[in-house]
Amino acid sequence: MKKLTVEDLSRIKKKRLEETALGEAGPYRARIIVHLGTCGLSAGAGAVLEAFEAQVAAHPQAKVHLRKCGCGGFCAREPMAQVEVFGIEPVIYTDLKPKDAKQIFEEHVLKGKVVEAKRLPKEEPFFSRQHFIVLRNRGLVDPENIEDYIAQDGYTALAKVLTSMSPEQVIAEVKASGLRGRGGGGFPTGVKWETCRHAGEERGEERFVICNADEGDPGAYMDRSVIESDPHAVIEGMIIGAYAIGAKQGYVYIRKEYPIALEKLNLALDQAREYGLLGEKILGTEFSFDIEVHRGAGAFVCGESTALMASLEGRAGIPRAKYIHTVEYGLWNKPSCLNNVETWANVPVIINKGASWFTQIGTGDVTNNPWGGSKGTKVFSLTGKVKNTGLIEVPMGITLREIIFDIGGGIPNQKKFKTVQTGGPSGGFLPESLLDLPVDFDSLTEAGSMMGSGGMIVGDEDTCMVDMAKYFINFLLEESCGKCVPCREGLRSMHAILERITHGQGKESDLDALMDLSKAMIQSSLCALGQSAPNPVLTSIKYFREEYEAHIRNHKCPAGVCPDLYEMTIIPELCTGCMVCARYCPTKAIAGEKQKPHQIDRSKCIKCNVCYSLCKFNAIKKI
Amino acid sequence: MDEKKIVTLKIDGHEVQAERGTPIIKLASKLGIYIPTLCHNDFVEPYGSCRVCSVEMRRGKRKRLVTACNYPAQQGEEIYTDTEWVRENRRLILELLLARCPEVPVIKEMAAAYGVTDTRFEKLNSDCINCGLCVRVCSEVVGANAIGWAGRGVNREVTTPFELKPEACIGCGACAAVCPTGRIRVEPLWQTKEGEVREFTLGPTSAIYIPTYQAVPKVPVIDRNACIHFKTGGCQVCVRVCEPKAIDHNQEERLEEVEVGQVLITTGYDIFDPREMKQYGYGILDDVYSSLEMEYLFNSSGPTYGRVLMKNGQEPRSIGIIHCVGSRDVNHHPYCSRICCMYALKFAHLIKDRSTADVYQFYIDMRAFGKGYEEFFTRILDEGVNVIRGRVAEVVKAGPEKAAEGKLLIRCEDTLVHQFREIPVDMVILCSAVEPRKDADRVQRLFTLSRSPDGFFLEKHPKLDPTATPTDGVYIAGCCQGPKDIPDTVAQASSAAARILATIAKGVVEVAPIVAHIDPEVCAGCRLCLNLCPYGAIEYLESEGVSRVNEALCKGCGTCVSACPSGASTQRHFRDEQIFAEIEGILFQPR
Repeated sequence: MKKLTVEDLSRIKKKRLEETALGEAGPYRARIIVHLGTCGLSAGAGAVLEAFEAQVAAHPQAKVHLRKCGCGGFCAREPMAQVEVFGIEPVIYTDLKPKDAKQIFEEHVLKGKVVEAKRLPKEEPFFSRQHFIVLRNRGLVDPENIEDYIAQDGYTALAKVLTSMSPEQVIAEVKASGLRGRGGGGFPTGVKWETCRHAGEERGEERFVICNADEGDPGAYMDRSVIESDPHAVIEGMIIGAYAIGAKQGYVYIRKEYPIALEKLNLALDQAREYGLLGEKILGTEFSFDIEVHRGAGAFVCGESTALMASLEGRAGIPRAKYIHTVEYGLWNKPSCLNNVETWANVPVIINKGASWFTQIGTGDVTNNPWGGSKGTKVFSLTGKVKNTGLIEVPMGITLREIIFDIGGGIPNQKKFKTVQTGGPSGGFLPESLLDLPVDFDSLTEAGSMMGSGGMIVGDEDTCMVDMAKYFINFLLEESCGKCVPCREGLRSMHAILERITHGQGKESDLDALMDLSKAMIQSSLCALGQSAPNPVLTSIKYFREEYEAHIRNHKCPAGVCPDLYEMTIIPELCTGCMVCARYCPTKAIAGEKQKPHQIDRSKCIKCNVCYSLCKFNAIKKI
Repeated sequence: MDEKKIVTLKIDGHEVQAERGTPIIKLASKLGIYIPTLCHNDFVEPYGSCRVCSVEMRRGKRKRLVTACNYPAQQGEEIYTDTEWVRENRRLILELLLARCPEVPVIKEMAAAYGVTDTRFEKLNSDCINCGLCVRVCSEVVGANAIGWAGRGVNREVTTPFELKPEACIGCGACAAVCPTGRIRVEPLWQTKEGEVREFTLGPTSAIYIPTYQAVPKVPVIDRNACIHFKTGGCQVCVRVCEPKAIDHNQEERLEEVEVGQVLITTGYDIFDPREMKQYGYGILDDVYSSLEMEYLFNSSGPTYGRVLMKNGQEPRSIGIIHCVGSRDVNHHPYCSRICCMYALKFAHLIKDRSTADVYQFYIDMRAFGKGYEEFFTRILDEGVNVIRGRVAEVVKAGPEKAAEGKLLIRCEDTLVHQFREIPVDMVILCSAVEPRKDADRVQRLFTLSRSPDGFFLEKHPKLDPTATPTDGVYIAGCCQGPKDIPDTVAQASSAAARILATIAKGVVEVAPIVAHIDPEVCAGCRLCLNLCPYGAIEYLESEGVSRVNEALCKGCGTCVSACPSGASTQRHFRDEQIFAEIEGILFQPR
């Protein structure tokens, strides 16, 4: 196909909007949007899609447009679909089964009657409290169709940059927007671009832009969703960045464990090349740039910039000292600008709407100091013990309480909130007293946690802090590259101490030893992985010290998680003698007669927690 | 980074100027400030894995710990290498290392130096600190890439590919040399590796060495077969440490042609290989040494730094010195090697000087012929050296039936007391004969020299012209002419030099007029004369098909004249007619 020019973009947009418009006369009368992200597909969206496809095929006269979109964000309620019928307000249906398709199609699409039982309430706070910038095209764009993206003003920012802005102006705009690196570091993006461009110009060397899509935090999937649902947003951001920095080549470093994202990304890159948005003379201008995809092998440490670049070069993913920055000497010792997926996806919006629009969102003041505040939005994957798990995008400065209790809907099963862990494995645990903490780079760091790339794991009263800390330390222990002593040996020793504590063999001196280890790791580890690794331990000691002390002194696990440190017991007053627990106990440790309180034989109990989860009367307690 | 930008910074209060980016540890060591490190070595790129070298960096209000091995010097910064913060950090790092390697001496010592003697952390009992020096040396210096990393995190370890014996390993031992904990050891496999065997294998040698201790010029040579650079293209550590930049691996040996008017042959001698005399056990029994090896041991920069030690590293308590090994022996060399008696006495003197060992000299006749030699002999007798007159029959290892089990037994006949003797010693020195060089015949042909029956070059006349040879312009001096000691050699060489200078001073060479001449008209080109001429003076001219006499070389001996079948060769002034006329003249009897 012919390479596009700037004028062609608006022509394609007009054409595509006309093609997909709803109306009495228009090509379509109704539209069904099915969300097919990894989360949706694993919940069964594939079968739901097939059911809708069958309905659409069976009713050609209904003129229904079926759009296969990416992630819908509301993981807890997948599979999801949105139905738009001309003249009726769009409705989101959740928790769909294939059999629901027929009913929704017949009632809503054909007769115009909304199926109330399956719909999401109109004012569902999960969506209404969010602010979409990065996820702006959620439900609007089929990731496999570049024209859908162009129809949503896609690549207009690129056209604007290439035709009316100098690279310096682009950098100034991004700097003014106060955009900070969304990968966790929070380094001002504009400053990074400027240094990179400067270093390259000074030495007359080629430069590279790199997209870090090596998302490895447990329970985090922001980057995956963005690439799966809207890959062109990232590509456009990268092209703009490359223009600003003066790069001819870009790389996307993506985990091999993200097959759908990888497929969608490669498809999008091919389409962009076909449309002349990548390659030689982009949009008919003199600017040329292309992107190569590099698959990571799944090492967590490869998310670290120097390790990622080592891996890109074909060496083992092991970090080096960053006393000389990668923006000066990065990939193959050339100036290299590495940004996270989400950072790149922010760029086109900033260019289109302007820095002043972007700075209205968020906290602080970045007019004179790029570190002065946190601007824009942040995408989080809200997981753990919270009702509405899902991918959310919120403005900076929103409080944790709003995220967890309004958007997240609070803690399920009438349990009490205990902690929220932000920033991935090397982030920290925050207690209830800090729920009103505004979520931005600096507040979280000050509280001992960090923004990280956007993992947010909520823990309820059944969460043992020592066990949680041990879990994350174990994760880091397995993922540390093992190069430097404090990280490798520190994590090993830390894990050994936590293991002892959770088995009731802790010593009074252990807390001091943990603090000393943390100190050594923070001040002398080689890379950020080791420097931030003690955060889970430090914050859990800082905010939940009494829990450690209970483990060490009383040999009790207050949350009833560490098997050696609690006993199962039945409270006779609450036990109704329903016999359920006795029937399911695998070791027959529970004895009792009908309608009489049961007893547990502790010598037989293996603490499998079957009785605990089965008892409807809360009669079983862990003491 | 500007390559030449000079920055000023302070290290422990000392102001330093350095190129921007120079590692702090380099600047500190120039100032004589010691920064402990376990993973740093000047020959590999900084790695920053042990973190022991962390120092405090202050810039304005900001301060943090940085690793001295790779932190680049920057303008206006202050570095402190030994603050309380730095020491506390080192204590923690060393405590962690001590937990990993509780038994490794270097870690224990370094930790103890910072007051850390025990660790609160779980012990691992490893002997590798994962500093990666071995891997980096193998890849960056040697270029063999025979070892590398496997695993991640706590499971990270140094290993060979697939844990097999690596084919890429060239056995250079560089990894073992840099290993701080002694985890990597080199098995003495190197002795069997090609290129590692030297003229003397009394101890480990390196690929770059000075061939002999009295080498002139005293410069090292590189053994191409052993040098890592010639195996992998890497290394060149010698080039980096050589300050005058004198090492050039691209040098090739080459043939050079030099035009000279006179040649002095001083090709020296070879040492008789005592292996030929199996009865003395050289090469079979430990602690039987040749005289040259002994010289090597006595050298104060030799493998034992001049101490007399046995192979097991202990001092010998008795040493036997056997004279005339291969000389004065009809089975080998009938002549006397002349130098052995005196150096054997010197050995005895040195042994007495440096150890308490008993010395036994086994001689046939004590030939202390030179100036002061006899006095020296008397002196060593006074030093308590035992001398036994008699040729040694054999040297054997004492068996269990002997009291001196494990020692070496020297069996000989003491001809002065007419008794058979068996003397147990710890060490035997064989005074090998001096013999002509193995390639003496090649030199002989090249210069048309003669050799005496013993194989040494023959002089023109033992009394009248002892340094000249039958070939004009070719002279001999030193042991190529016959065994002699250093004073004699120097005297003969000086004489030869004077003899040569005399001809040079003269400016012209006088050629005797009595030379042979081949008439080209008559010569049939049979070339019979060519092989007969003892002076190599006749050459055959291929183009003309005749032989011609080089009159400068011809001595006028007349051999070719009498042999020429066609009568083409005539002797000037002694033509047949002239000789017959002379004969007739002598025989003429006036009646």
